[in-house]
Amino acid sequence: MRLPDRGTLALGLTMLILALVIGFAWVPMDSSTGLVEKVRRQVSIGDGLAPTLAAVFIGLGGLLVAFFERRPEETPRITSGNLLFTAILLLLLALSLALMRWSGPALAGLLTEEGYRLLRDTAPWKYLGFLTGGTVLVTGLVALVERRLTLRAILIGLATVVVLIVLYDLPFDDLLLPPNGDV
Amino acid sequence: MGWLDYVWLGILAVFQGPELVSFLGLSIPMTLAMVLMGFLLGILVGSTPGLAGPMAMAIALPILISIFGFSPDALLPVFGFLIGIMKGATIGGAVPAILFNTPGTPDAYMTTLDGYPMTRRGEALKALRVAHFSSATGDTFSDIVLIICAPFLAVLVERYLDLPEKTALLILSLAFIASVIGGSVGRGLISLGLGLLVAYVGTGEDFYPRLSLGTQTLAQGFPVATAVLGVLIVGEVFRSLDDMWRSGRGGRASEGQSNTARGDQRLHLADIRRLMPYVARSAVIGTVIGALPGIGSTLAATLGYTAGRARHAKTGQSPRFGEGAPEGIAATEAANSSVSGANLIPVLSLGIPGNAAAVFLILAADTIGGFNPGPSVVRFTTDAVNPELVIAFGLFTCMMFANLLNWTIGGAFMRSMGFMSRVPKHILLPVVLLLTLTSIYVQETRLEAIWFTIGFGVLGYFMRRLGISPLPFVIAFILGGNLEATARQAFAATGGDALFLFSSPVATAFMGLTVLVIVLSLRKPKEGRP
Repeated sequence: MRLPDRGTLALGLTMLILALVIGFAWVPMDSSTGLVEKVRRQVSIGDGLAPTLAAVFIGLGGLLVAFFERRPEETPRITSGNLLFTAILLLLLALSLALMRWSGPALAGLLTEEGYRLLRDTAPWKYLGFLTGGTVLVTGLVALVERRLTLRAILIGLATVVVLIVLYDLPFDDLLLPPNGDV
Repeated sequence: MGWLDYVWLGILAVFQGPELVSFLGLSIPMTLAMVLMGFLLGILVGSTPGLAGPMAMAIALPILISIFGFSPDALLPVFGFLIGIMKGATIGGAVPAILFNTPGTPDAYMTTLDGYPMTRRGEALKALRVAHFSSATGDTFSDIVLIICAPFLAVLVERYLDLPEKTALLILSLAFIASVIGGSVGRGLISLGLGLLVAYVGTGEDFYPRLSLGTQTLAQGFPVATAVLGVLIVGEVFRSLDDMWRSGRGGRASEGQSNTARGDQRLHLADIRRLMPYVARSAVIGTVIGALPGIGSTLAATLGYTAGRARHAKTGQSPRFGEGAPEGIAATEAANSSVSGANLIPVLSLGIPGNAAAVFLILAADTIGGFNPGPSVVRFTTDAVNPELVIAFGLFTCMMFANLLNWTIGGAFMRSMGFMSRVPKHILLPVVLLLTLTSIYVQETRLEAIWFTIGFGVLGYFMRRLGISPLPFVIAFILGGNLEATARQAFAATGGDALFLFSSPVATAFMGLTVLVIVLSLRKPKEGRP
């Protein structure tokens, strides 16, 4: 049996180990009934069976990938470039969501006495978080791909947020823009 | 009530349902207006490289639910809009493929092979007319097959399959989907297993929500929209952004060359007669492929094109396939368009979504309530009206109305959409991302849901990078609860028989087929899979 390339082998073995951890550690320790349970002499399927079956599929898939699907020319892999992109992306998303969550309450705390919670249904307060976070998200991603920050990217970010406010908030009283359902 | 009464009630539910506006005493039904709006939006989205029908469906769903609410009256307008998007996007994908050599949707790739050479010859309008005619023909044919076959299949399933057989059929369907999507059975099974695992977090019959790690965050499980949109839409956005970031290609939209129209651009009866054999053959191929869950329109387009090329080579006509033959466009577009209707056959007869568009129809039905796609819908009750069956026939009416729109205004609207190909993808995708995250927040109203979506987006991105198709994940996630519930009932009904999956010849045959599908897929090298 010819061994597959290292990337394929790593994927297969990782999935195999993941399946073993899920099947033998996570499922038994984190579900209160096992594979089957007996209540008043009636046997029924326990909460542990279905996730164990899922683990079997993952493990079987890992096994097939690692040892039976040997096509090195067809083996895409995660590169260090992909990981770097993911890290930058997650940082940008975290910054955007932090601004979305906290910029409204922070400004309301500084400028008013009643605080954000009482103002979260009042314009312009209710838009502050979405405006800052949303603009940073769109502008940041456009700038990331263009590899430079331009006025056009900022305007696109702002315009997107304004259009979304018009789309979701103005016509519907019952819809809450982020982060107004959390604060 | 007979089946004809149900057909009539379905039509009335569309035409006499909620009214949008009354104009000069003439009532304009909401559902028809929604089909029209969805259809036009679908063409717009399909014509835009980087966007796809499922993206528009995902973003539209929370807005539609906010507008129409959760009452049964909401079902047909929402379905109508989603069906409109599905059909519009199917024909829209050909526009950038023909005009700019850039497929708007992956299944329109083969259209570029003959469409763009025709554009360079100055026959762009004719190429668009061929694409529209073939697409509309294939789509209509597929819908007719759906309307005829789905109810019969559903009746057969309900009459002859008991709980063990249904469980085995679900397992067979999942194994089939895992085996045929993507280039590897192993990767398909990994995707399937992960989807099932995620579906089981925070659920179960016991008081303790399983796999929740003792946290309140996981105790409620993952909202369906976060997993589906995260893996399907956000994952794709991340992958495309990464591709553009690394290739440094931001800022450039599709570039096509300006070609002056030359010669007759109309589609004559003689042209149609010449194209029909190709359209007919591809429509049958696409419909058969579409009826099998999980096999996408890209494979149908490839097979339709290959079959058409073989026939064309025999006739020896010029130009040849790949050099601007209208028959090449016809073969591709008829095949990929005829997948969309047939893809709803497994949804309505088995409750199994066959593609991403079907996933969103099921999601809409789940969210609104009052309609559970599956064999139980088709119960021709005689004493009382079965409202689900009325909705099913209403859905068919919406599809036929969308076809009518396709034949009448679709072509002209499609031909005016060339400008969408010039929208830069690197600007469009961040907008789509914020739109998706916002639409999830307005449904769930907690930032946790956004984080779940981003987490699933990263999972979807890594899956794509590793060559793992996200579609088995999504379908397994949606079917996971149903699979477990059916298995529990079957186990109880057979008196706790551990071998209930082999308790009848039919169930045993389904399980045997499951093994066979996996083994055969392992042995057979795959090409051209979506």
